[in-house]
Amino acid sequence: MTSKRIYAAWAGVHFFLIAAVCFAGIFSLVAEGLTILPSALDKYARKGELAAASVLGKELAASNPVRRGIATYLDVAGSQSGYTFFAPNIQGYHKLILELFYHDGRVEYDSPHVSGGAAALRLDSLLDRLADPDYKPLREVVAKMLAFSVWQDHPDVEKIRAIFGSVNMPGISDFEHGKRESFQPLFSDDFSLRKEENQSTPQ
Amino acid sequence: MKPLRAWGNDLMDFLFPPETDKWLAVLRIGLGLQVAVYALFLKSDWNYLFARTGSGLVSRELGEAIISFDSPFIPKLGWLVALGGHIGIGEETVLSVAWACLLCAGCCLLLGLFCRPAAIIAWFLHLCAAESGGFVSYGVDNFMTIGLFYLMLSPLPDRYSLDHRLVKTKPKDPQLLGFWRRVLQLHLCLVYFFGGLAKCLGSGWWDGTNLWRSMTRPPFNIISPDVLIRFKYLLPGLGISICLIELGYIFFIWMKKARSVWLVCILGMHVAIGLTMGMYLFALIMIVLNLAAFGPDFGSLSLAYRQRFHAVFTKQLSP
Repeated sequence: MTSKRIYAAWAGVHFFLIAAVCFAGIFSLVAEGLTILPSALDKYARKGELAAASVLGKELAASNPVRRGIATYLDVAGSQSGYTFFAPNIQGYHKLILELFYHDGRVEYDSPHVSGGAAALRLDSLLDRLADPDYKPLREVVAKMLAFSVWQDHPDVEKIRAIFGSVNMPGISDFEHGKRESFQPLFSDDFSLRKEENQSTPQ
Repeated sequence: MKPLRAWGNDLMDFLFPPETDKWLAVLRIGLGLQVAVYALFLKSDWNYLFARTGSGLVSRELGEAIISFDSPFIPKLGWLVALGGHIGIGEETVLSVAWACLLCAGCCLLLGLFCRPAAIIAWFLHLCAAESGGFVSYGVDNFMTIGLFYLMLSPLPDRYSLDHRLVKTKPKDPQLLGFWRRVLQLHLCLVYFFGGLAKCLGSGWWDGTNLWRSMTRPPFNIISPDVLIRFKYLLPGLGISICLIELGYIFFIWMKKARSVWLVCILGMHVAIGLTMGMYLFALIMIVLNLAAFGPDFGSLSLAYRQRFHAVFTKQLSP
């Protein structure tokens, strides 16, 4: 009976943490105004999100053992993020176009690539993450790494311009009227590979 | 005090229903297949995805640094690379060995050989890859970790495994088997409830726009938009059905009469996602988890069918 109680207590804590992660995800969507709910609810959703985050120890110092313990447990159990896939709405997708400048004046276009379809899904997931405001500080570094991965196939390139943007997709009726997807640049970075310098230009 | 105790007993009965280990065999074989297919699908890109700065797609070290900010105790491939470095093995070799071990663990699970060590190794290596490649991870990684986490804690080996045939193991506690199945069931209910709720909150799931967008954006655009246009009147209905199936899962999957209908609907949804959007690994893991959690007891069904067939057949032959 004692061992059953231990199992039951573990299950209680386990599902409590998972529910907190899921509620944090839902509240976050509402607080950011991404849902069909009235905007009057945004501030309550923000409070709810903060409450769920504090349950998960995210209000504690980064080095706090409770916070680290909860984060480690959720990660090893695969429950560190909610289940809001393809929700609440699906916007366009994101693209990284690389302009390759050769020193003989030629310009070619390429994009980061992988060989398998399963890895292509992962690359796509990375590009969508880059558009997330939380990833803003990392955008330039990741774009540089992606540009560098392409440069390895084109060692005689002098400069690479990485243009990151969103692709707006037409709706059903727009598509029927002949409208096709359009590219909207969000930022661009110039990487001078030989001189180890780069410049960033938000657009 | 008495009702509280009765409530506690009811809860214990709910959490520890006696079960056979058939569901565990489904989970083990399914996850073995999933891990093996995952490793094979990523074979050509494995080192490229997880290499250090300057050798791959994006730096594994950057992903690991971000994870370490959450907690330095989360497993990552960097640990294995550092361990390899101590004994003079290069990064590329360590990554290749990790990939081979993951594939072997998947095959062992599939066969039921060294079930517990194989489940632990598969969970650990997959977790290391998912965390180190956090930038390039997506939903399938979460569900694989969830499945492998429960599998490694469940009372292995099941009686269909080679382990059981080679070394006659004692039968497992049916209530403990029931507990782990219950945990998986409850987890799936949360997954679909919150997934369905989030979808219901988006306008695009009510008018079919989200289905259109999800199926026309790369890399999910397997079906041509011109073909999809022909079925445009079905999209709103399908979008609403997905919301209702996911949101209703937590309620209807527990009802005896509705369970099989709901299970067929959810499995159909995942098969359709796999086939029409190319998300084969995601579809497979969700099908495996659903079949293990709420799948029918195939053994009992087959026995019942045989008994019924035998009864009818005997009656017809009797003078």
